[in-house]
Amino acid sequence: MEFSPGVRAVDNASFDLQAGRFLTVLGPSGSGKTTLLHMIAGFLKPSGGEIAINGRPVDAVAPHRRSVGMVFQKLALFPHMTAAENVAFPLKMRRWDPRGIPARVAEFLDLVRLGGYRDRRIHELSGGQQQRVAIARALVFEPELLLLDEPLAALDRKLREEMQLEFRRIQKELHVTTINVTHDQREALVVSDEIIVMEGGVIQQYAPPLAIYRQPANAFVAGFVGVSTFLDGVASPAGMRVGGTDCAGRQALPLAEGTPVRGALRAEQISLGPAGDMLAGCDTVLPGRIADMIFEGERLLYIIDSDALPGAEIRIYHHDPTGFDLFEAGAAIRFGWQAQDLKIFKTGRKEPTGGVLQ
Amino acid sequence: MTDMPGPVSRLRYPLGWRVMDALERGAGILWPRALHRLTGWLLIAPALLLVAVLCLGLWRIAQGSLHVLDRATFLPAEAYTLENYRTVLDSATYLKIVWRSLSGAFLTVVFTLLLAFPYAYMLVRTPSPFVRKALLAVLFLPFFIGQVVRAYGWLIILGNSGVVNDALGLVGVTPMRLLFSFPTVVFGLVQYMLPFAVLLLAPALTAIPRETEIAAGSLGANWLQVLWHVTLPMARPGLVGAGLVVATLALTDFAMPAMLGGGSQDFIANAVYDQFFRTADQGLGSALALVLVALGSVLVGAVFAAFGAGTLAMGGKR
Repeated sequence: MEFSPGVRAVDNASFDLQAGRFLTVLGPSGSGKTTLLHMIAGFLKPSGGEIAINGRPVDAVAPHRRSVGMVFQKLALFPHMTAAENVAFPLKMRRWDPRGIPARVAEFLDLVRLGGYRDRRIHELSGGQQQRVAIARALVFEPELLLLDEPLAALDRKLREEMQLEFRRIQKELHVTTINVTHDQREALVVSDEIIVMEGGVIQQYAPPLAIYRQPANAFVAGFVGVSTFLDGVASPAGMRVGGTDCAGRQALPLAEGTPVRGALRAEQISLGPAGDMLAGCDTVLPGRIADMIFEGERLLYIIDSDALPGAEIRIYHHDPTGFDLFEAGAAIRFGWQAQDLKIFKTGRKEPTGGVLQ
Repeated sequence: MTDMPGPVSRLRYPLGWRVMDALERGAGILWPRALHRLTGWLLIAPALLLVAVLCLGLWRIAQGSLHVLDRATFLPAEAYTLENYRTVLDSATYLKIVWRSLSGAFLTVVFTLLLAFPYAYMLVRTPSPFVRKALLAVLFLPFFIGQVVRAYGWLIILGNSGVVNDALGLVGVTPMRLLFSFPTVVFGLVQYMLPFAVLLLAPALTAIPRETEIAAGSLGANWLQVLWHVTLPMARPGLVGAGLVVATLALTDFAMPAMLGGGSQDFIANAVYDQFFRTADQGLGSALALVLVALGSVLVGAVFAAFGAGTLAMGGKR
């Protein structure tokens, strides 16, 4: 889709999705994920390429003739109708047998656990209940594809996490192929079978949640999903060199010595010990100082300065509640990691892996 | 007080602030704090006064309507009587005028809303600021010209040797009488009411999210079904509000029937004018005026009861 000459909101975003799977397109705002969704639904026409649903190209099919259910960002429910009338709307528009409609509406209101609310107007329902009406309305006509356009973004955290599990449950129950769009990495990890990370209209990685988290394809994915510490340096045989310090790590692709690289370390994969501790099992161990500590409830986040890694702000999660008062701000410590946990990427150009599921 | 912080003593507030302070002090003397809970009433007092004067006038008209004209002295007779109302109700002419006013107002509402809805929809939905400004300018241009001048313009265009008949003559159609007919009066009224209707409809249409219409489309509705099942029902408050304003303005209109009807297509307001200023029968004129007020009130009341007050309810009860 081109908005103006030269500016592409989505560029070369090819991927295949297996029927019955739950895919999440994850990316920051402006990464082109909503544009992608609107092209699949038919509200926007791609300037090139092809979209096919169950093998049939749909590019020439008007939105109201596509078999695509969509839950919108602002839900877009009909305020002048009751919950049941909202759910019955697509059935009436798609010429279902009128005798079968009430039973089917009741079935889907039960599916989203709104059995007792059929005659409520939309404004008489809570935010979560409105979500459920929107889901039922998008699913009731048996669409071949369900699209979710960040419908949970406006909810408070507790309700959002509850609805994430609801989406997952309903999708598993109906086996409907689903494409979800979000900027919430937690939501993507929780609900999805597969995740596409998008940035700048380009697919950065297409993989199952665990692979996205454990084997990020590039520095962007490593930074966008999870909390990481980044080290900038040059490639070396053992991994990378930052200033004069050798850091053990794994290069995503074999790199010539001296290539500028960026390494990413997950906050929970760095070990922490008192000064003098050898941190058994770690391939690199360095001295440092506690710069700050942030209590987050279930865990403690340490921010570490190290003269060995100038400029880097090392972030470490500490999950052991019995040891939360182990170190004080300013205390000298040692920290380290295993070579496999420092992921090293070539800097500069991003290396999208395209739409092949890894 | 030498320990006052330095900057404060040197600081001079801007003139505008000092003027506001002085005004506030003055207001404090004229309207002491104790009266503050009555401020709301103070502010609507002028409006209330205006309505009170109007009611007084209505009361005088009601009184006047109860005296017949004494043809000997050309002054209202002393005796109280309902004779004027009987004259109105017995007269085929007046019933015809009442019927003409009602049907004229009704047709004006129908045609105005039919034309105003797409116009307002375009105004609200167009992505181009230029198109929106152009549509607004075109809408307001006739607004600035005034009703009488505009009606006069129609006389020039629709007259027997006017622009329209000249054009028809070119294709061989014999000139026809376009002016001084009921359709022409309705036509003039529709053209006069269109800006009011568009301006009352636009906010109601703005309140309908584009996403809701897109959603209806993705659920399987074609554009006509979206319009019928989603846009029109959601625009109902605007349609009711615009319809009410247009109906009352058209029902009580004077200039269009007078100028485009040429005396043959009088509405009630024209009949009232004739009684007051031509026949000088104030009693009959007052009775007619009250019939008009009653008709308008019943009409508005009936619409309120059936459809709610629309946008005129200002978000209150629907």
